[in-house]
Amino acid sequence: MKELENLYDRIIQRVNINLRELEFEVNPYAQNAIPLGQMIKFYAFFGISPHHPLSFQFKHSNLAGSYFLGHCNVINSLLYKSDIRGDELKKKGDLFQYQCFEIPVNRDEEINITDSLLIKTLVHNFSHDPETLEEFFIKDTISMNYANIHGSPSDGCFLGPFATADLTTIRDCVIRRFAYVQAGEVSHLDIAAGTVWVRNPGEFNFIYQHPVDELNDYIFISPTAPPQGLFIDFVEDRKEAFQRVFDVVNIEHSTSVPTSASLDRYAVVKPTTTIGENVLVSQRAYLQNSYLGKGANAQENCYIINSQLEGFNVTAHGAKIIEADLGTNVFVGFNSFLRGCPDGRLTIGKDSIIMPHTIIDVKESLTIPPGQLVWGMIKDDEDLANHSIPIEKFSGITSGISMGNMYFEGNGASFVTAFKDRIHHILEANGAFFNGSEKKGHAQKNQYISFNTLQPYPEGHKKGLYPTIVIKP
Amino acid sequence: MNNIVKDSMVPISEYPTISEGATLMEAVFALENAKTNTICSNKSVETTDDTKMGNCKTSAFKGKEPVDNNPHWILLIVNSEGKVIGKLSQLNILTALETKNEGMKNIEQIRKFGFSSKYITRLREDAYLKNTSIDKIYADPEIMGMKVEDFMKEVADNDFIDENTSLATAAYQMASRKRLSMLVTREEEVVGVLRLSDVFTLVINNVKAQK
Repeated sequence: MKELENLYDRIIQRVNINLRELEFEVNPYAQNAIPLGQMIKFYAFFGISPHHPLSFQFKHSNLAGSYFLGHCNVINSLLYKSDIRGDELKKKGDLFQYQCFEIPVNRDEEINITDSLLIKTLVHNFSHDPETLEEFFIKDTISMNYANIHGSPSDGCFLGPFATADLTTIRDCVIRRFAYVQAGEVSHLDIAAGTVWVRNPGEFNFIYQHPVDELNDYIFISPTAPPQGLFIDFVEDRKEAFQRVFDVVNIEHSTSVPTSASLDRYAVVKPTTTIGENVLVSQRAYLQNSYLGKGANAQENCYIINSQLEGFNVTAHGAKIIEADLGTNVFVGFNSFLRGCPDGRLTIGKDSIIMPHTIIDVKESLTIPPGQLVWGMIKDDEDLANHSIPIEKFSGITSGISMGNMYFEGNGASFVTAFKDRIHHILEANGAFFNGSEKKGHAQKNQYISFNTLQPYPEGHKKGLYPTIVIKP
Repeated sequence: MNNIVKDSMVPISEYPTISEGATLMEAVFALENAKTNTICSNKSVETTDDTKMGNCKTSAFKGKEPVDNNPHWILLIVNSEGKVIGKLSQLNILTALETKNEGMKNIEQIRKFGFSSKYITRLREDAYLKNTSIDKIYADPEIMGMKVEDFMKEVADNDFIDENTSLATAAYQMASRKRLSMLVTREEEVVGVLRLSDVFTLVINNVKAQK
């Protein structure tokens, strides 16, 4: 396993060099996150379908338990149980709209992961950087458990557990646990744990800071301890169910799936769950005793338990919905944690936007009226009053507002429009609006994916490394 | 401009200092006192008219000829071994006097995220009005009792300049490093302070002389 150890050391050193200005040492965090011994236990797998590009190159890397789709290259990297989803990459001839420019895409875009360590990380979407349209790069980067790198080229960065970089080029940044960044382009920033930052320069700037003491109960990490807290316990408690779907070669879900919907074979579905038309359930999603109405989706690492989603609901990567009833068109952002209880359900009215990385954790019933913008940490009605605002009222903001730890500057209508447009795009891309012949999306295209597995060297100094593999159509 | 740094520096013995461990209140008085004193030569003046003696009020220099009227704007902080460990300016004191409640801390933290100065100013005003009056802020015993080392600017490598450096180079270094003063060294020892006001005066005089 010497080669694997050398590779690990090489990645650590490269990331440390990039983050020296921030005086951030990644080694203690990464070392505690995943024993190298674990990295030889699991096979990697990739999807083939007539609807997706097929081009993979794996070289001098470990890919344990990771999934690949589309056009990806992985060199000198360690990927542990990560999902590299290249099904929304740009194609040659596409026109990329950036401000007042329409920039032609010269060749098919590819995801290039080099000299990086990704742990249980989701990589998805496409590069939104007009300077690097054909390459979605992730280099000299370490990401921890359940981080999301979504449309965000990354160079020399560390993402803590449950952190998200969304539609943002990040360079030499530390994005600490449960922080969310959607800001276009950032460099040399150390983003504190629990920061939620959404910025469109010249239009709006939203920031919220979770109270760190309370956040520590949900997710905590230190240089001497691996990630821990309620979030980790929650996923660990359901780990065994995933073990079964990964161990069995041919799996048949007992749930009935409409012909217009897609249920990934690497998802867990427990009784009694109903899947409506045009629903998308991605790999590593977990459904239990829930109803997903027409056009709803459950993306990677989502958990929907004892809940009702009326339809056209976006449950973004890593979001968890427990003992809750959601009206139509409710958007639940990345890694949000929404938990009611059997005697005190959580109800969210239609057309509400739950901001990314929101925590709603209630012991008594809580009702969010329709059309609300919700953020922060909410445990009762009083918290809700301080962490929500009617979307209509927010749209009327012309200069700024602050509520507790939330600060907003700019045009509220512009912020709301940006969110609504994006929600529409996600539903469209996922196939929520499929009419039987047109508007196909992932829910329809992902029905025809077959999977192949890859294995590393079982022994010797290359133990754990995968041989160089090139896969083309 | 053939002068070198040591010709224009204020000798360390004549520069106002305060010891590590002093409080903010003590620093305020020391800086106030330093500001009203000027650098004085040992040459006696032949007049009893105080107005011609500038501000030479300290006993050591009373009745001596003032070298200049540039007041001191900073204090040097020295440790128990007499070593200069920091500088304290009016700005540092104003920063130390800032309210440190949770709201203000949050506002400080969001500065780096691209909010406009106008928005930040408005937040600060709101936070001031919400929390306390200005009078109360400046009477807070916790703030007044803060130690100088908690709010001084620690000296860094680029705060030092050798005594034999030319003034032209010194002027360049002060401009490029954005320094209002630099510590002048003779080998490892700090022997004086070079002030921007003195360097500026010499530079301007040279410019005028070329006309």
